[in-house]
Amino acid sequence: MKVTWGAYGGQAAVIRLGLPPKVLDTDALSETEAVELDRLVAAVAPAAGEERPGRARDAMSYTITVEDGGRSTTLTRSDATMSPAFAALLGWLEEHFARQ
Amino acid sequence: MTCHFNCIIPPHLLEKLLRSDDSEVRQAALDTLMTTSRLRGERGVRASFVGSAAAPGGGRRTVFDCKHSTSLPSAVFARSEDGPESVDVSANRAFDGLGATRDFYKAVFNRDSIDGRGMRLTAFVHYDKRYNNAFWDGHQMVFGDGDGKMFSDFTGSVDVIGHELAHGVTENTAGLEYHNQSGALNESMSDVFGSLVKQWSLKQSADEADWLIGPEIFTPGIDADALRSMKAPGHAYDNDLFGKDPQPDNMENYIKLPDNEMGDFGGVHFNSGIPNKAFYLTAVRVGGFAWEAPGLIWYESLKASHAETQFQEFANTTYRKAAELFGDDSAEQLAVLAAWQDVGIQISGILAGVARARSLAADRSGGTGGENGLATVSQQIGALAAQVTGLAKDVTALKSK
Repeated sequence: MKVTWGAYGGQAAVIRLGLPPKVLDTDALSETEAVELDRLVAAVAPAAGEERPGRARDAMSYTITVEDGGRSTTLTRSDATMSPAFAALLGWLEEHFARQ
Repeated sequence: MTCHFNCIIPPHLLEKLLRSDDSEVRQAALDTLMTTSRLRGERGVRASFVGSAAAPGGGRRTVFDCKHSTSLPSAVFARSEDGPESVDVSANRAFDGLGATRDFYKAVFNRDSIDGRGMRLTAFVHYDKRYNNAFWDGHQMVFGDGDGKMFSDFTGSVDVIGHELAHGVTENTAGLEYHNQSGALNESMSDVFGSLVKQWSLKQSADEADWLIGPEIFTPGIDADALRSMKAPGHAYDNDLFGKDPQPDNMENYIKLPDNEMGDFGGVHFNSGIPNKAFYLTAVRVGGFAWEAPGLIWYESLKASHAETQFQEFANTTYRKAAELFGDDSAEQLAVLAAWQDVGIQISGILAGVARARSLAADRSGGTGGENGLATVSQQIGALAAQVTGLAKDVTALKSK
């Protein structure tokens, strides 16, 4: 499974637009980490799709794409619309990336 | 006073206690509501009651601490209008920034808080971990601490705080749609009034101001002046990490991007550079304090705009408002005319050649109203008086021969 995620918009939207998305391959994870990531992805997968930030201004948007077994699912949420499950997945990915 | 999940004290009584003259009673009632609302996770109810702890309206401030969570309902109270300073620097900075912005609108435009009706101001600090942003969620402000590598605490720039709250003002006036040109105008309004809050706080003239948005939010190791420069869009930064600031300062370089998240909703943070530059040029041509004539023209134009207003319509509106406020062909109106022309927007109904001649004439005469314009006129009168005196002496000398 490959997970790609990126952040867009916000006060630093112009700077952020030039930064590449981050990529994580579960092959590079320990078994424990891979199981945890699977669990987090499964928790948000039913809510796949896009939600616009509504009246929020300068809120950041996040896109997480999960590629697994030839299937690809993309989720887009903003600071103003993300669910706890989405926040947990994004937080886990960012924590993992920060430890690299 | 104790209260459990199903609060035994009726809400109307709590509201009455919140208006008590006795600060201890008010605080106890507030604590009760805080506990209840935290259990329920009803941040709207909580913020509303906190604000009413002393008196309704008046833009009363409350700051909450997210404790590095993304959940606003679980944030804890940090500071309110009647309470002591917080031990948290970020909470105090957010509190002060809210106050500076509220006071600016009241003193300069006689506007009662963000909505003009004394809306309470609520802010959340320490949002998420390493969160590189600050945003307006439609009702309240949220600040991140930054990742400590590129960005530091977003409460550090009062212009950023003013920027976010100006989104609330725009929402309550023109309601500019947040995409393409109306979205870029929305962003520009926030930069204009955010910068004016800072200039007003520091009592800086247009010449003295830095015209930067967010100069304090980068870590010392980052080679960047700010997020954006209103004076020189496209020149806020140029480094290996961020690349070069791509903001345009002229319609010739307008950037077309997709109207979605990845395209910054049509480049709202990019193309705001064009109206930003127009405001800066107006301000320096008029001279003096930018929140006076230029700020008033922009504020009245914002109020006269609507959800779908584009650059051209807004430029026309500023030209019309300048005439209504300061007169036809006033220095202020000519400054507006020249500023839009310099960013590639001709005011409708005025031929480019005529506009150029009139703006040149304005520039020759000092191009300004206010103190600088009066100084120029005064200098010209002085020079003419000196010439008359000299001529009179010559005539006297000729007569005596």
